[in-house]
Amino acid sequence: MFPLLALAIAGSALATLGAAQPAQPAPAALAISSPTLIEGQPVPRQHTADGLNVSPGLMWKGAPAAAKSFAVVCEDPDVGTQPFVHWVLYNVPATATGVPENLPIDPAVAMPSSIAGAIHGLSGFRRPIYRGPAPPPGKVHHYHFVVYALDVAGLPSGLSRAQLTDAMQGHVVGQGELVATYERQPPPR
Amino acid sequence: MADRDLTRRAMIKLAGAAPAGALAAGIASAPSSAAETAAQGARTSARPAREPLRALTAAEADLLDVIAERLIPSDASGPGATEAMAVRYIDRALAGALAEQREAYRVGLAALERYARQTRGKPFLQLSPTDQESLLIDVESGTATGANVGFAGSSAAFFALVRGHVWQGTFGDPVYGGNANFVGWDLVGYPGVRTVVTPAEQKLLSPPTRTRRSAYDNPMFNKAIVDEKPAGSDRDAD
Repeated sequence: MFPLLALAIAGSALATLGAAQPAQPAPAALAISSPTLIEGQPVPRQHTADGLNVSPGLMWKGAPAAAKSFAVVCEDPDVGTQPFVHWVLYNVPATATGVPENLPIDPAVAMPSSIAGAIHGLSGFRRPIYRGPAPPPGKVHHYHFVVYALDVAGLPSGLSRAQLTDAMQGHVVGQGELVATYERQPPPR
Repeated sequence: MADRDLTRRAMIKLAGAAPAGALAAGIASAPSSAAETAAQGARTSARPAREPLRALTAAEADLLDVIAERLIPSDASGPGATEAMAVRYIDRALAGALAEQREAYRVGLAALERYARQTRGKPFLQLSPTDQESLLIDVESGTATGANVGFAGSSAAFFALVRGHVWQGTFGDPVYGGNANFVGWDLVGYPGVRTVVTPAEQKLLSPPTRTRRSAYDNPMFNKAIVDEKPAGSDRDAD
């Protein structure tokens, strides 16, 4: 009995310690905008597989002073059980207030100077580049362009969305999103 | 530039070693600057003279030439699919052993060309190398399928077909029309078929001597001779 009792006491002490930890403050709200994307409106063709398929530009405001880098993700939750990931970009420098349009698809080509050091993670297409909406026809899909402000920088290269989520755990100090839509038509009969 | 070439070559080797179904690293990266685009044009103009086609149309061969070049580019680290004459291999194969896939090429290449005009506003051959590669990534990933441009099934299936044949035409035995001047074997360091391996070579004390010979240049390897006489014409010999 005694060892079990001791464990119980230790457990309760740990629980008390945990409760005493300062709670993670809620992330600051980032306001996201874009030169081409409009909240709730269809993604322009040039950012889709029905067009040039180049990445859109994004801007953000309201980043907290604690931000040391930014990460950008685009995903479509309207497919299956897991959102389909179209874009993973991180290590965007803290000095940036956005990302320009048409980022390079060649990993060996340098990022634009305003986001020097930023790197692409792996999308659902298993490539470290942006690939835009290309949904199955039949319904409207929603594309969540999410920007995270992080209190860390220099994350390792080659991260997937899930790995980025793990790496960001406890480090998100700001967050915002812009949601645009896209729908493809069924093939003509 | 050198780093990028090494990156491309590493990607190609990775893709070449991967199972045919692997999507990752299927396409090498494209040059994007104007100077590199000009260099690309210069390389294209230096393409080996085309032999009379046996299966493909000239327009189809033009498309395949550039697709093959994008898949295994010629660059500072060595020649690629163009110099290997991978498309000559494909043309000969479609006129022979792979004749049943001729229609898949007709449909797939026509759909790819329609996809280029519909999404990028230009014929595929007039796109910049970067846009060509972006388009090929969409074909490879299957996302071109939903553009309703006429791919039979998934565009990814057509891409996998072409990629497999470009690999074969670059790295296969030259007897089949590709791997001209053994550039594919030189690229991956394959020495060719050897009937004798010396003790030193077995101990890997030295790089293997490259034979630079087709397997069928060796008298102990013989391709089956196909009897072209009509079936049954030799029955009188029974």
